[in-house]
Amino acid sequence: MNSHVSNYSVVGRIGEGAHGLVFKAKHLPSGRDVALKKILIKNFEDGIPINVMREIKALQLLRCKYIIKLHDMFPRGTSLVLVLEYMSCGLREWLQQRPRDLTQPVVKAYAQMMLKGTRYMHAHYVMHRDLKPANLLINHQGILKIADLGLARLFWPEGGRPYSHQVATRWYRAPELLYGARYYSEHVDLWAVGCIIAEMITKTPLFAGESDIEQLAIVLRHLGTPTEESWPGHAALPDYNKITFPESAPTPWSELLPGVEEEAEHLIRSFLLYDAKKRISAKEALRHEWFFSHPLPATLEELPKPTQNGKIK
Amino acid sequence: MFSTSSQRKAWTFSDEGELARLREKHNLEYISRHGTQVDEFQRYNYFLSPDEERLLLRQYELHLKEFCKRFSPPMPKGVVGTAFHYFKRFYLYNSSMDYHPKEILATCVYLACKVEEFNVSIGQFVANIKGDREKASDIILNNELLLMQQLNYHLTIHNPFRPVEGFLIDIKTRCSLANPERLRGGIDEFLEKVFLTDGCLLYAPSQIALAAVLHAASKEQENLDRYVTDMLFHEAGPDKLAVLIEAVRKIRSMVKMVESPARERVRLIEKKLDRCRNQENNPDSEIYKRRMREALDDDDLPRGSSRMSLDTSGVTAVLSPSAS
Repeated sequence: MNSHVSNYSVVGRIGEGAHGLVFKAKHLPSGRDVALKKILIKNFEDGIPINVMREIKALQLLRCKYIIKLHDMFPRGTSLVLVLEYMSCGLREWLQQRPRDLTQPVVKAYAQMMLKGTRYMHAHYVMHRDLKPANLLINHQGILKIADLGLARLFWPEGGRPYSHQVATRWYRAPELLYGARYYSEHVDLWAVGCIIAEMITKTPLFAGESDIEQLAIVLRHLGTPTEESWPGHAALPDYNKITFPESAPTPWSELLPGVEEEAEHLIRSFLLYDAKKRISAKEALRHEWFFSHPLPATLEELPKPTQNGKIK
Repeated sequence: MFSTSSQRKAWTFSDEGELARLREKHNLEYISRHGTQVDEFQRYNYFLSPDEERLLLRQYELHLKEFCKRFSPPMPKGVVGTAFHYFKRFYLYNSSMDYHPKEILATCVYLACKVEEFNVSIGQFVANIKGDREKASDIILNNELLLMQQLNYHLTIHNPFRPVEGFLIDIKTRCSLANPERLRGGIDEFLEKVFLTDGCLLYAPSQIALAAVLHAASKEQENLDRYVTDMLFHEAGPDKLAVLIEAVRKIRSMVKMVESPARERVRLIEKKLDRCRNQENNPDSEIYKRRMREALDDDDLPRGSSRMSLDTSGVTAVLSPSAS
């Protein structure tokens, strides 16, 4: 059996996830680097957390170059250890530490990889529900992959099942979630994708609310007060009547995305629609003009490579 | 998709003989590990025979069905189906003498609740169990990881319930059968019984679903043979049709043969089990309690000169803050 702790030599700590520590290790038989995510089960009253279960199920189902790979798992004492593909760094640190390296070709390449991973997930009826820069990781070759599928779950194409609205990190949370929607679908990911592309281009989070209410206020202020036409059914959402915001006209996109070229702006706008069903799908977005106009997306050779210690060259 | 699933690759077996061989192998392995002092000719006086194990597990499958039926809040069918799969899979590679079926049963249902997104807390769950609930909760949580490991972490189960819906929609659109909804009663009854057989370890969920639909139709004095031959398999050709007909016939005959084990026999087997079960896995034994304490102390990844210390102090980098 390969699944044993003695096959791994731990070389360092990577960090701490929601469920426990993450270590960098070498898989001795193959020599490959891996991340060991150790989940200490005795810390959880109900046993193995549902998020861990979801992550395992999702990663077993999804085999895509742009989604992090689950190599293996094994028990250790009362812990469960997940053996994941090792990723050198995350898009979040990159945005914070070396924003200038995110040139237009690099941003386009990352957007493409993120969309390919998203297209694959959605084709398999999995919604991620927590897409954000911190969950987009970059490997030693410079390839971006979607990670942390702890909130990922299967969706039913025609709706029909309620889900928790307490998902997605605030800045990337779709407006229907902010209004407490329990019936939603993969379109919540597409809102997040739009926010992330805008952030990669402008190097600033697009809608950075300090609280859930402020988040909603910012979105409404910029996109304008929703109408029955721009957002059918919004007035029936659970939290709609709990709070009212001043009427506002939409901010011109040129103000919201200053200096962003027309094609990029068009793509971002196609994601950031109140009406979830009208948001551009990952599949369609990959055919958007922006990816075929100059400068073209960076090739694999041109992509920046993180160094061994996780810093960006 | 079932066709690319671990269920098809790792947990669908060729025939009943293969299942019997696996079960017998683990029966014998248990005896050889625990029965060195027992005379070979006497061993089944002390240990359970493969047949006795089968009978015992059949009885516990009935318990599983009843437990799920009475569960509060009402449990979706998918959870029940998944729990049955887990229970059957577990005992293909383990002897009931090693792990008592009453403990594995509860753990299977608990894990199935999580995997099928039927969210109940451990407190809510054990409220459905008679007796010492705190102890039950300890047993379930202690066994959860073991169960996952024994399932080889293959958690996703393809049940026949969705293919049934597909067939019903298809019949409504392409078939002249009047009021297909009246088949539901017969279908549900059939699927309930299928889980008391080895059917789900041998056949695809869609085959089981079709067997259920055809059974229900014949109970209603209807015949869907033409639907199967002229519509479903029109393009697939006679070879595939023959395979399907044989599968449906076999599943229906397995269901027909379902019967409850005789109470008195099961009672004797349970008595025998109390003596020959592995005390290391008996939550009431001293050796089990000691082992659990040790497991709790042994929680860190190995330390050593060649390896870095793994204590948690000084962790600053937070790669993935969670949602909400």
